[in-house]
Amino acid sequence: MWTQKKSKGSATRKLVGHTKPQALVNEQYRTIRTNINFSLPGHETKTILFTSAAKEEGKSTTSCNMAIVFAEAGKRVLLVDADMRRPTLHHSFHLSNKIGLSNLLLKKGRLQDCVKRSGITGLDLLLCGQIPPNPAELLSSPVLDDLLEEMKARYDLIIIDSPPLLAVTDSKILANKCDATVLVVNTGKTEKDSVKKARDALVTSKAFILGVVMNNYELTKENYYYHNYNS
Amino acid sequence: MESTFNVKEFLIALRKRLPLIIIVTLLFVALSGIVSYTMMKPIYQASTQILVNQKITNSLQSNDLNIDANIQLVETYNIIIKSPAILSEVIEELELKESVSDLDKSITVSSEENAQILTLEVEDASMERAVLIANTTASVFQAKIKTLMNVDNVNILAPAIVPVDPEPVKPDPLFNMAIGAIIGFMLGTGLAILVEQMNTTIRKEEDIEEITGLQVLGIVSNVPGSKEYKRTTNINEKKELIADVDAEKIKGVSNPKIGGSY
Repeated sequence: MWTQKKSKGSATRKLVGHTKPQALVNEQYRTIRTNINFSLPGHETKTILFTSAAKEEGKSTTSCNMAIVFAEAGKRVLLVDADMRRPTLHHSFHLSNKIGLSNLLLKKGRLQDCVKRSGITGLDLLLCGQIPPNPAELLSSPVLDDLLEEMKARYDLIIIDSPPLLAVTDSKILANKCDATVLVVNTGKTEKDSVKKARDALVTSKAFILGVVMNNYELTKENYYYHNYNS
Repeated sequence: MESTFNVKEFLIALRKRLPLIIIVTLLFVALSGIVSYTMMKPIYQASTQILVNQKITNSLQSNDLNIDANIQLVETYNIIIKSPAILSEVIEELELKESVSDLDKSITVSSEENAQILTLEVEDASMERAVLIANTTASVFQAKIKTLMNVDNVNILAPAIVPVDPEPVKPDPLFNMAIGAIIGFMLGTGLAILVEQMNTTIRKEEDIEEITGLQVLGIVSNVPGSKEYKRTTNINEKKELIADVDAEKIKGVSNPKIGGSY
């Protein structure tokens, strides 16, 4: 049964942060962690939203790995899958998506019951749960505000993975409620125009934009400063 | 698109598209080579030299004037050779199919500066024909000039001959290929610039700053074949997970998708 599940999980995210602590990519995630730490305006920033302009730009991969490197730094991190249209977090960690955020938003269950352990010290997961018919309405309800407050009380950092900005409205709602937003860009794939639109969308939703993470960046010899120091 | 033109960026972009430029260049070289070797008909050239000998009639004439007169004479002969009067006779004599203007195009008359020698060059697809036309034109000219100018001062210095191994003057494949290489290189470069300009995706960190004004927190390079997340080794958690999946299987539903998706 496990092997079955494993073969099915070919869409698994690349969790390098955990499997290859010395890898170059992992070092890049740590660099982003450092940059985020330096960019945070004070200690009240606890919720970081990861979003992108269009789908499949690496939001989930980035948020997973960022959660791992933040947990590595000794923080108590909660990784939330708020993409209630196409949840993926349970695939990454090989968990069942039975209970999660949607249950909490429908006030069915308590946070501590819905949170799952990731197996990584300091990192807990809140999966999406069963896909609701009205994700945008659920996210805009005041229940989410209470939930975020509860999360903030329990964890040092809450990383939220969200649906694409230009496709659905969910991310704009979430960006407004989160302390900071990180835009993920698929280098060489994302159109300049859509990045501009995504930025504008975040600005209109009064989000605090931390910055951009460039995913799938092709390293050339000009990027000498990113070369692996260990090898 | 870009507000500033960066030479370094431009060169980097060109270097990236170097294969494209090379391929287009080679393509054009090959194309011009094929065309000039197979499709273009070879053109042969025959030349005759005609000596214009001005008889000195008046010894009192100054030397300068004499030379001037000679040059004028040579230029006049130049035009006479290519006149319909001569050419139509050549056509008649050789029973050529070409018109006077056609023949006119294939004949070039040139004279050396300050010399009394005319060079008559004839280009034709056949060496023998070129020689024949050159020699006939020269002899017709020689005969005609007696009545036209009332002088007999034209001698054929060197009649055209058919060489043992005639070499075509046109086309020059090497020259054509060189032209092809230049055109191909320019076209390839243009194409590379076009491709580069058509790509409107984000590719550099500078793009982000330029377009959105946001800071780049970092880059993540592609992960080549990294292993997937290793499952927890904690036996209790594993049991929990198995139980979870089991329950799901019994119910026969996993992830009931009710809502809309994007």
